[in-house]
Amino acid sequence: MSVEEQIKEIVAKIVHVDKSIITREGTFKDIKADSLDVVQALVAVEDAFEIEIPDEEAQKFQNFGDFVDYVERCLAAKERA
Amino acid sequence: MSQPLKGRLALVTGSGRGIGNAIALKLASQGADIIVNFFRHREAADKTARDIEAMGVKAQIIRANVGDAKKIDEMFDTIGNDWGHLDILINNAASGVGRSVMDVDLKAWDWTMDINAKAFLLCAQRAAKLMEGRGGKIVSISSLGSSFVLPTYAIVGISKAALEALTRYLAIELAPKGICVNGVAASAVETEALKFYIKEGFIKDTRQATPAGRMVIPEDVANVVAFLCSDEALMIRGQIIIVDGGTSVAPFVMQEQDRQ
Repeated sequence: MSVEEQIKEIVAKIVHVDKSIITREGTFKDIKADSLDVVQALVAVEDAFEIEIPDEEAQKFQNFGDFVDYVERCLAAKERA
Repeated sequence: MSQPLKGRLALVTGSGRGIGNAIALKLASQGADIIVNFFRHREAADKTARDIEAMGVKAQIIRANVGDAKKIDEMFDTIGNDWGHLDILINNAASGVGRSVMDVDLKAWDWTMDINAKAFLLCAQRAAKLMEGRGGKIVSISSLGSSFVLPTYAIVGISKAALEALTRYLAIELAPKGICVNGVAASAVETEALKFYIKEGFIKDTRQATPAGRMVIPEDVANVVAFLCSDEALMIRGQIIIVDGGTSVAPFVMQEQDRQ
């Protein structure tokens, strides 16, 4: 499963929505996630991929696409290290 | 400058920013080596550690979500392996969801209770083992919301009430081991985090309602914590010291003065 699909699955489970409504262009607001959902999603993704997403970085995400891209960059950096 | 905590090791949970940061710096200024625990704000934790080291003591950063029991275990495993002991635990990390009681759901309840109350239990259990044979100090950071009803503060207030009760039980159970346990409860403290929870005008209103004439700042809390970590406070056990500029003992006085 791709990183994008895994993230969608994690977010869908936390926010209790069908993962099909999560798109790269969409936002947490679009799927009616509250602030706790957002934090829990970040934590769950961090744990799943064993990476760190500081709040300073998360605040820059405009949509799920940015979220996925960031995680992929972290994984690539981890691979190189 | 006197360094009564020279050679002591302190863990301050949630010490990247705000109250935790002020406590970490205060204890470091008294000579303690500091373990800076953080979860979401690495840049802030890095800066705290740099500021601590600039005072000539050691700092170690450990990232851990204290809402996760496994992460607490890993943090204490690291402390045990790297240092082999601990002298001071400051249970400061906190989180919460601003809701009325009727809007609290299980997810918000568990999140808040795990971080604010359960984490203190687990940290204190592990910390006490690392303090064995050398005594120690444990201080929990609470808030006035544990005893007073504050708007949209329900879950956090309840979690802080649990934390305060735990402080008293730990104080008695750990007293024979030479471990001194107390808490500090502050009113609203002027921090970056506060701005996320409050409405416009809150800071001005709070300042006016505080007999001492200003809001509580992180350093006010840190000063009391440092005292509780000193040997001068050895006969204070299981107490929650209120730091609120007099607000809680005169809730109506200032309102009356405002009207005049």
